[in-house]
Amino acid sequence: MRNTTVSNQSSHTMRNRTYLFIGVIFLIILFFAGLFIGKYPLSISGVLGGDQYQVRIFWTLRFSRTVVGLVGGFALGISGFVFQLLFRNPLASPDIIGVSSGASAGAAFGILFFSGVLSVSACAFSGALIAVVLAILLSGLDRSDSKATVILAGIAVHSLAQTVLMVLKSMADPEKQLASIEYWIMGSLSGVKSETIMVNIIICIFCVLLLFLLHRQCLLLSQEEAEARMLGVSVQKMRFLVLVTATMAVSSVVSMTGLISFIGLIAPHSARRLTKDNSVKTMFLAGIIGGCLLLLADILARSVAQTELPVSIFTSLIGAPFLIYLIFRRRHQI
Amino acid sequence: MSFVKFEHITSGYGKGNVIEDITFEIEKGELVGILGINGSGKSTLVKAICNVLPHEGKVTVNNITLEEQTVKDAARMISYIPQKSGVSLDIPVIDVVLMGFNPWLSILEKPGKEMEEKAEEVLKQVGLEDRIHENYMELSVGQKQLVIFARALAREGVLLLMDEPESALDFSVRYRAMEIVRSWIKKGERAGLLILHDISLALNCCDRLVLVNNRKVSDIIDLRRDTAESIEEKLQKIYGSLSLEKIRSKNGKERFVVLYDSEEI
Repeated sequence: MRNTTVSNQSSHTMRNRTYLFIGVIFLIILFFAGLFIGKYPLSISGVLGGDQYQVRIFWTLRFSRTVVGLVGGFALGISGFVFQLLFRNPLASPDIIGVSSGASAGAAFGILFFSGVLSVSACAFSGALIAVVLAILLSGLDRSDSKATVILAGIAVHSLAQTVLMVLKSMADPEKQLASIEYWIMGSLSGVKSETIMVNIIICIFCVLLLFLLHRQCLLLSQEEAEARMLGVSVQKMRFLVLVTATMAVSSVVSMTGLISFIGLIAPHSARRLTKDNSVKTMFLAGIIGGCLLLLADILARSVAQTELPVSIFTSLIGAPFLIYLIFRRRHQI
Repeated sequence: MSFVKFEHITSGYGKGNVIEDITFEIEKGELVGILGINGSGKSTLVKAICNVLPHEGKVTVNNITLEEQTVKDAARMISYIPQKSGVSLDIPVIDVVLMGFNPWLSILEKPGKEMEEKAEEVLKQVGLEDRIHENYMELSVGQKQLVIFARALAREGVLLLMDEPESALDFSVRYRAMEIVRSWIKKGERAGLLILHDISLALNCCDRLVLVNNRKVSDIIDLRRDTAESIEEKLQKIYGSLSLEKIRSKNGKERFVVLYDSEEI
């Protein structure tokens, strides 16, 4: 019997490694596809051969945008994984619990009242953090400890953020500010410029690394408060640290790309469905799937039509049916 | 000198107190059970001991006041088995047991080889050696509870605190689990506090029983000294009409049997 268990474990480990390997291969392919596919097709020989036009497009448009697609998608996947663990709810993702809409309202506030990329990022982060704190406070009002509470609280926070956004839009200058806000809400990687993304990329990578280091704590936090506390976890402090880190990762991404829907929901679920566990490998796979999804959505957004489309159209095309499937699925564990 | 002391514990939710002035002691190597009807405040007492609920009074374990300890230090002293664990993750069984070592690890540290060996040993003790690397969520409710028992027993705690841990276990497994708990307590400087619904289990497994009624300690039963008549009388005060019999089992041991007296059944 023992031998069977050990062989089951090794085949499980082997299978997970295979998924990771395939995922990394896909990610690399999509990364290079992202660099070369688009309105102005580039070729490896052209870029390496020193064709000035191609080299300029490569460095000014494609490279930074593809890096943001990779890092941003990865971070959204990881944050979704962490949110689902902490809220003990398979539907808890940055967009569903109101983090993304909070970030949108924050960014709109930044566009209206401040100038500069950093101020908009800081406002997006503040908006996201306020949203997550509100969702926690609202769900805390219900003592039933129902898993649905955080989702309902998220819907309330989302509506509130939308109202704030509407007010800010009505105050915006229609020529310039309103266009920026709309563009931001639609979500696109076309506005990504290498000189403006550095700080956000660094924040994003730092947060993701920290979340990986806190993986064991996230598993402990997925239990009831008394149980986690009796396992030596300072529940409030640790929950705050993890949530702030995950929120910061999300807001650093959305302040570069605008609102990107559903990746934080789809990526962790797909990873768990493949590996059937919540290990660090699954967390990493969630990041890889997130990266693949955003890179693919961005390639489609700039290739399928004459004009560039918002990325969220493509992520929502997969995400919305996926959400319906999750709601009707009976197994509600994570 | 008592090993564990609960002194004047008063706690509750909002304005009203659910428990008032709960005071009792546990000796080294002793397993004490708490009995009481639903709503008598047993679970509130557990939450107060876990420091999840604000409370008055104090708990001292081996002369150390729990309320003055950090979360980690308090967790090193108490091994806790909840009524139903909140673990609802696809995660290997051994990883659930390894969570028990968290108080001895820094935030970023991972459990070591020794801890893994200890976890495997305890899983073997509770009869789950062939499920070590399987998904915890695919176990039966009773097996899951045994994993949580293993998690509490794998570590070097001082006080084993159990909140109706037997409710998910079937007849033979709950007695087997109690045997394991008793042998854990007898090893080294340890004691156990068990909150129970099952009166028979309490009478046959514990050394003493604390009866809680109307928010307060109503009586204490010493099962090693009190007579069957006196035990019956104390139990009747909270459970109403019941009969207590002492019978000899097939292996010659004296056991308590509780019967509920009713005209209807």
